[in-house]
Amino acid sequence: MLRFRAGTFGAAFAGAAALVLSLKGQTSSARPPLDIQDVGLAAVEEPGAALWSDARAEQRLKLARTVTGAGAASRVGVFHRTYTPGRVIVRFRDDVAVSERRSIARFGSGTAEVIPRSNYADFDVVQIDPSEDPEAVAVALNTRSEVVYAQPAYQMHADFVPNDPQYSTLQWNLPLVDLEKAWDIQPQAGSTVTVAVIDSGMAFRTGTITVNIPSFRFQGRTYPALGVQTIPFAAASQLVGGTNTSRIVAPFDVISSGVNPPIDLEGHGTHVSGTIGQLTNDGLGTAGVAFNVKLMPVKALGSLWDVVFGSAPFIGGSDDDVARAIRYAADNGAKVINMSLGSSGPPNCASNSTQLGCSPVIEAAIRYAVCVGAKTTSCSGSGVFVVVAGGNEFEDVDPDFGANPTSVLAEIASRIDGAISVASVGPDKTRSFFSSTGNYIEIAAPGGTSRGFGRGGFVFQQTFDFCFSDTFDLPNPSCTGNYGPPRFDVLASIGYTGTSMAAPHVSGIAAMLIQQGITDPVAIEKALEATATKLTANPDNCPRGQTPAAGRTCSFGAGLVDARNALRGLGIAK
Amino acid sequence: MKTTLAIFGVVCGCLMLPPPAAAQDAPALSIRPFVFGTIQSFTATDTFNAVFGQSYDPFFGGGVQVVIHDKFVVELGASRFKKTGERAFISNGQSFGLGIPLTATIVPFEITAGYRFKLSPRVRPYVAAGLGTYKYTETSQFNDTGEDVDVRHAGFVLNGGADFRLQTWISVGADVQYTRVTGIIGSAGVSQQAGEDDLGGVAARFKLIVGR
Repeated sequence: MLRFRAGTFGAAFAGAAALVLSLKGQTSSARPPLDIQDVGLAAVEEPGAALWSDARAEQRLKLARTVTGAGAASRVGVFHRTYTPGRVIVRFRDDVAVSERRSIARFGSGTAEVIPRSNYADFDVVQIDPSEDPEAVAVALNTRSEVVYAQPAYQMHADFVPNDPQYSTLQWNLPLVDLEKAWDIQPQAGSTVTVAVIDSGMAFRTGTITVNIPSFRFQGRTYPALGVQTIPFAAASQLVGGTNTSRIVAPFDVISSGVNPPIDLEGHGTHVSGTIGQLTNDGLGTAGVAFNVKLMPVKALGSLWDVVFGSAPFIGGSDDDVARAIRYAADNGAKVINMSLGSSGPPNCASNSTQLGCSPVIEAAIRYAVCVGAKTTSCSGSGVFVVVAGGNEFEDVDPDFGANPTSVLAEIASRIDGAISVASVGPDKTRSFFSSTGNYIEIAAPGGTSRGFGRGGFVFQQTFDFCFSDTFDLPNPSCTGNYGPPRFDVLASIGYTGTSMAAPHVSGIAAMLIQQGITDPVAIEKALEATATKLTANPDNCPRGQTPAAGRTCSFGAGLVDARNALRGLGIAK
Repeated sequence: MKTTLAIFGVVCGCLMLPPPAAAQDAPALSIRPFVFGTIQSFTATDTFNAVFGQSYDPFFGGGVQVVIHDKFVVELGASRFKKTGERAFISNGQSFGLGIPLTATIVPFEITAGYRFKLSPRVRPYVAAGLGTYKYTETSQFNDTGEDVDVRHAGFVLNGGADFRLQTWISVGADVQYTRVTGIIGSAGVSQQAGEDDLGGVAARFKLIVGR
């Protein structure tokens, strides 16, 4: 039972314009609050084994845990092995009396003290001044006949490989950006950083909605009224489960101005949030990039069910809601904003931002978020890094803007230092067929593809099983049953593709970069771009009249984001 | 100011001391080993500030001088600098430390030739110029194979200072040395971001010399 959501979710706005939707017996101008009860059953988890039983044998259950850190508790020796300062491990010959050992140790260091031997050890630990070089002390002690061996207390670590069973079988995308080595560098994985997800909401709480489902018409099909129904929704266990229940920060529904909670009734926002920070190394499902990050769900995109339930006026979002969402996130502690959304527009908003089709309100909001310094009406002072999907319209022909139309939000991001636009690549590091190209593309990340790789081309995260949430799509060959009330409490690892999926990779890595020490949004963008892996685009498919900046391509910008390289930063000469 | 005056007073007092007999009878050829310590202010200020938090650091080393007729001097010296800082990133002049230890080592081998002036029986000001070869290594935590740096490159040296004879066989010296070493940094890393390609700098050197 393979379940994919093939399509281009970055184009939520554009898609909304194409939908034919009429509601009966419901007005969209006045949106009453949803009748929500915070009582409900926990999510129905569809175990990965049921979905991917053929892959279970391939599970790599390496219980790996890094024990190294990048702090003062470690130093690097001659052969760049990390050791603990202030101690040397010494194996004295058995005939050397305990009373003699201190004086022998003092041959290596004037500060040496032999600390009492621990259980299960046939060696001693000699404590020295932390400023001393334990390798030099060990070399000196090894010249003594009373010493069998002496060595610094080198630190061991295993490459962190999450034990989430579907990590190794489904998630080609995380190794593609070298995340395992990035997790070695930063095992905390962004625990101090909040990432705002401006999207369709997030499955972050559990309860029910009591709602009258009217008859409605959608994509040429008329759906019957279902009457008053109690709709269950549940928190995604892979976002808020385990010990990480406090990771949801300041959730907000911009569409209802905070009247409703930002519950996801579509699945897109939950999937995007999973890529950013799905719980990892818990032996369940799939993994996320910055798996300890705090998440701020900010709902600015309505779904079909939002419209049917009366909690949004239309499918998708509007510039004002998105702009308010950006400002809300910047004012409420977010350090990274992910926007896996976009719409097509004219290519020259840079020179004439007030022409029709441009979105100066969003440009102002992004500039407000990114800005550091004193807080004003045009500057949040928060220094938020903003990540925008690059657009999924490469094969589209827009009636107004032609083929491969410019993604307005991505184009705005490309003009703002501290905001970045993200293209999509597949498992083979080539451009995803849908990924828009242009000189506004700044970096690339895995967004997957539905062509050529089967299920292996999708980006999998936990979100709603659309057989239960998208009941308006029933019957279809992947599911059983017919149209009925939706459920938002059945979750599984679902494959999506799109630049919507690429952007959250960059957001997660940016969160880790902030935790690593690069806090300025302009510097974050520079670091991500400077450390990206160059990709050759052949052909580059630049839109007519556009040429990429030096060292960049219209397909990938600076290249494929590389988590390990970004977190490592730079040395003096290399 | 008080310190400067005190040093000036000591130097003047020393100059007025009667010279040791040997100083007035310098050999035609004198081979004089020495040890020295330096404080070097690196030209790559932003680079070293980003990685080490400061752009001046000590070198320690030793060498040998060959003095001919108390006028001409050829000096061979080797020294070493080793320090651990952190990997970094520079953006718009602001540096960000990433907490990943980086250890850099510089080992210069320098040869200079110069001229000594007879200012007084005890004091020999000198100027010299020469060449050096500079071995630079850099290693960091989490490096993969091939990511360490281990290179050697040539540079040039200018220095000037004075030797002061304390006793027949013991002298001390102080000079200022300028080195320029291109070709090691500047093509990648923080140094490239900072636009700095010179691993040299200006150093104050203090020597203890043994020999006549």
